[in-house]
Amino acid sequence: MISFFLFPDLESLEDLISILIMATTACFIIVSRNDIPIYEAEVGVAAKREDAAQLHQFILHAALDIVQDLAWTTSAMYLKSVDRFNELVVSVYVTAGHTRLMLLHDSRNDDGIKSFFQEVHELYIKTLLNPLYLPGSRITSSHFDTKVRALARKYL
Amino acid sequence: MVREVSESCVDSLLTEMVACYCNRFYANKPELAARRIEAIGYQVGHQLSERYTMERPRFTDHLEAIKFICKDFWSELFKKQIDNLKTNHRGTFVLQDNKFRWLARMSIDPSTDNVSPLEDITSPTAESKAAQAMSMHLYFPCGIIRGALSNLGIPCAVSADISNLPACSFVVRIKA
Repeated sequence: MISFFLFPDLESLEDLISILIMATTACFIIVSRNDIPIYEAEVGVAAKREDAAQLHQFILHAALDIVQDLAWTTSAMYLKSVDRFNELVVSVYVTAGHTRLMLLHDSRNDDGIKSFFQEVHELYIKTLLNPLYLPGSRITSSHFDTKVRALARKYL
Repeated sequence: MVREVSESCVDSLLTEMVACYCNRFYANKPELAARRIEAIGYQVGHQLSERYTMERPRFTDHLEAIKFICKDFWSELFKKQIDNLKTNHRGTFVLQDNKFRWLARMSIDPSTDNVSPLEDITSPTAESKAAQAMSMHLYFPCGIIRGALSNLGIPCAVSADISNLPACSFVVRIKA
């Protein structure tokens, strides 16, 4: 009953649960093999503040050293929970070409995160097939951005 | 068992060929780069038409040869036939491919990394650079068509036109 008292406009408990689930914080970046970030997106709902975005960047980039060591110890592409900062967790997906897809999240949805990485990897491969795209340069395609955000809403 | 080549390898090879001639060998001479790429296509077309006509009788007129290019030749190269063929009956043919395979993955999305920071992303310079880079990729198929037709006894000039991606028109002008 406390929940209904705090949120009087909610019609049911499902609304409250969905809001809590959707409030996950997530920041996603793609780092090329030369340690240059080529794509960045804040894909969470709650995190809209500028200082929060900068903190997310720091956490993800700090985890690069751990990924550098961890990538050579396993043949798996998906490295889950390689680093954590308070309640935030870093999961990474390393391609065979050593492009790194890095996600900062506070949810515990390992299967969804892995599926998200795999589908973004496909989008990234399609970007590489564009003869006009310079490999290693920033991905500025609005289509790519739209699809990544849609996948984030679907899986994360 | 037919010998086949991975399509992604061919795509990567074409991308690298155009990048080499435009950005390295003839970095400041786009006309020379275009001519060189077209010459490579001419050689490829010359050889391919010899191979794909191995089991068919010789052509009796120009229209038959053009039809061969539109149907069998195009199917071998791009897995589909030309969508539309027009002619003015005076030596000019327009071959329209509504989804040209080598343009299907092209995307003109001006990137801030490719343009200097002082220029606007949507400036005419960025757009024209992308259009020019894309037109460079079309000299190769133009050369293929010209080489194939020349090998079949039809000297001609071929140019390409892109109205809307990934549709592409090839204009073939037969030399008298």
